[in-house]
Amino acid sequence: MIAAFRAFADRLLGRGEATITVPSFDGALKPNQILEKAETIGQFEAPEDLATDGHALYIADGTAILRLDAASAATTEVRRFDRPITALCCLPGGGIAVALDGREVLIFATPAAPDAAMTFTDPTMNAINALAPGAAGTLVATDGSTARPCGQWVYDLMERGRTGRVLVLDIGSGRIRTIASGLHYAFGACAAGDGIFVSESWQHRVIAIAPDGSRRAVLDNLPVYPSRLVPSASGGFWLTAFAARTQLVEFVLRENAYRRRMMAEIDPEYWIAPKLRSGQSFLEPMQGAHIKTMGVVKPWAPPRSYGLVIRLGASGVPLYALHSRVDGINHGVVAAVEIDGVLFALAKGPGRLLRIPLGTIEEELRA
Amino acid sequence: MSDIILALRQATKLYAGTPAIENVDFELRRGEIHALVGENGAGKSTLTKVMAGVVTLTSGTMLIDGVEVMPRTPLEARHLGVAMVFQENSLVPTMTVAQNLFLGQERFYNRLRGIYIAAQQFLQSLNFDVTPTATVGLLGAAKKQMVEIARAVLHEAKVIIFDEPTASLTPEEKKYFFDLVRDLKRRGVSIVFISHALEEALILADRITILRDGKHVVTDDAVNFDRARIVQAMVGRDLSNTLYGTRKTTVRPAGARVLTVQNLKMAPMVKNNSLSVFAGQITGVFGLVGAGRTETFKVVAGILKRDFFHGGEVLLHDRPVRYRVPAPAVRAGIAYVTEDRKVEGFFETMSVSRNIYLGLLAKLPGGRFFLSGREADRIGKSWVDKLKVRSTGNDMKVVELSGGNQQKVVIAKSLVQEPDLIIFDEPTRGVDVGAIVEIHDLIQRLADEGKAVVVISSYLPEIMALSDRILVSRQGKVVEEFSALEATEEKIMYAAVH
Repeated sequence: MIAAFRAFADRLLGRGEATITVPSFDGALKPNQILEKAETIGQFEAPEDLATDGHALYIADGTAILRLDAASAATTEVRRFDRPITALCCLPGGGIAVALDGREVLIFATPAAPDAAMTFTDPTMNAINALAPGAAGTLVATDGSTARPCGQWVYDLMERGRTGRVLVLDIGSGRIRTIASGLHYAFGACAAGDGIFVSESWQHRVIAIAPDGSRRAVLDNLPVYPSRLVPSASGGFWLTAFAARTQLVEFVLRENAYRRRMMAEIDPEYWIAPKLRSGQSFLEPMQGAHIKTMGVVKPWAPPRSYGLVIRLGASGVPLYALHSRVDGINHGVVAAVEIDGVLFALAKGPGRLLRIPLGTIEEELRA
Repeated sequence: MSDIILALRQATKLYAGTPAIENVDFELRRGEIHALVGENGAGKSTLTKVMAGVVTLTSGTMLIDGVEVMPRTPLEARHLGVAMVFQENSLVPTMTVAQNLFLGQERFYNRLRGIYIAAQQFLQSLNFDVTPTATVGLLGAAKKQMVEIARAVLHEAKVIIFDEPTASLTPEEKKYFFDLVRDLKRRGVSIVFISHALEEALILADRITILRDGKHVVTDDAVNFDRARIVQAMVGRDLSNTLYGTRKTTVRPAGARVLTVQNLKMAPMVKNNSLSVFAGQITGVFGLVGAGRTETFKVVAGILKRDFFHGGEVLLHDRPVRYRVPAPAVRAGIAYVTEDRKVEGFFETMSVSRNIYLGLLAKLPGGRFFLSGREADRIGKSWVDKLKVRSTGNDMKVVELSGGNQQKVVIAKSLVQEPDLIIFDEPTRGVDVGAIVEIHDLIQRLADEGKAVVVISSYLPEIMALSDRILVSRQGKVVEEFSALEATEEKIMYAAVH
């Protein structure tokens, strides 16, 4: 009764759970246009993930794995599957792991090996969206949602899903172990010391899961929806984010009746929800706003899509970030890998593979 | 008749030996709108206060219609035809519009109905839509402004001075105000107005005068100015030989996020403000008067309250906090060093050590039942030594100290609480040069020790000299962030006014 009264009061006053606020992009997240101005070295139909063995760059594009030749920027098809690839990662011994349709994980001894060395097909796996090498011959997988498949992530957000899991797949024994569940869309994992860093998109944070299963927030209250995590060559991590939070979406997420009706009646393409790409149709919401300053009408709209890659230190503290801002194109960044001082980022919105030589950027942005 | 209605020649005003304006020449033409522009402390207000008889010149002359005058009170200035509309208006809120209009002109027997009729006729003649029977306290900012203007016109003012007239107006009210000013100009009234909004000066004024550090920089027709030229003239000081001359070559890296302000609202000053403050860094917050900087951090420190409905969120170490009074904020590790030390900073008749001890007591939950004079002396002495407070002894009353040493006591009172987040609001206002250096060193030391430090200052060189990162606030929210390495005075000022 008291809880219900408090919830009502919070909604009335805009406090507690009903606080509709979003942190600003400042400090290490100070905006720039580096991601937007990055060189586009490839355009793909349905890119999903990137992986590297330290030399070659592999791209999961629809049902195919492509290898990029760094010199010529040409791609060659390594192998093709009958279902879409939802996650990809290279393994320490030269193998490769692939998640198909979010429901099956295959391990290949080499990228071009004819048959899978190991197959994980647990019926509870539903939306495997990221893979990462774990400790002692294991593979860490994030299962975004057990309620919705990978392609319906926006439904999971709007339903305020919290069925994400982190799985440890033992490549030797074929055993699958759940080390965390009840996550608000797990999307990306990376080994960090003894434990694992996992990004939790709908909670806008990165958490650390210790070997004993205990969790702590490493990076909390981000202004974006974080996606995959990969290690950086010089220590620390790269964290990508596929959309920015807005007060409007936060508001919609707290208005249950409105949200239910929107989901029932409106085409998902036009929901008030984050997108990987925006500005494609005049029917899209959040594009007609303007403000008037000193008699001058200035166009303005909250961002519906955004592109961001955050460089994290070894302890998870953000060091700097690369942005493609609201007026840009390179939005919906879902993956990044670093090879020989060059960062490759995948902007899923426009289907672009971006190349960013790190060189002096690091010094400039950390200053 | 001369074209110049009001002139100041070699005008100098000293406050305790420090010039607020120095050898300023100023001319106001008949029926012109003249904008006075400059940074905080440039001498704009002093210059207009001289014209309005609020302060008198230390040296120099003032001429009205070519005749040398020296108004010593606002009443004398009013008789000379000069009226000033202050930023904080001077109306009596409990009286009606008509009563305020005729305040000071009452006869032995006043017929209220007669006053209302006269006021109605007069307001109509000005085309002002204000009800004469309305209580002034219930009027909006623009209507109050109208009453002030009407009063100035009623007193047959030939010169009307506006100090930041649009600071509290909404965009619609501003437009209305501009129409009023243009109408006054058509009636032959000369207008002087101070504004921090450069757009207003460019749109409204016939001529613009720019002051810097109490000195006249340039006067020219508004058409010959653009934003860049104004900003350059406002800040183009040579700092190479001053206290703030050295430019930062390195900045401290950000530590953990200590404070997050998200969409904070406190009408009418703070509007959807968001910012973060990190450990081990000095975050400078710059903005012109009315930018909502102080109010934002007073909300953080529990001195002011955010809006009751949807007032936003303050997170300390990523946990939401909402302080209704300062005590829990102090206990949580937030120290706010006030900009107005005389009113909010200390008890002036208490000793240095007792004042510092009070800071410690504020941190203890529920205070302390028994107070220890010995402990107070010990703590006081250690901080007096640490901050080099120049006093004849711990028993010396704070009121007897110089401004700089008073400020050190205020700082000691906060630091004794061992805060994680220290907010310095105008830390060197009214402080002598020697103490400024010591206070700056102290602030730098705190950041080196890993504390999260915020410095709010209206003085750009101070912000540039101290900050690792600079947040620029305008109209109630942070609008721009600079690293100290990339910031220039022009960039910051442009962000603050654009």
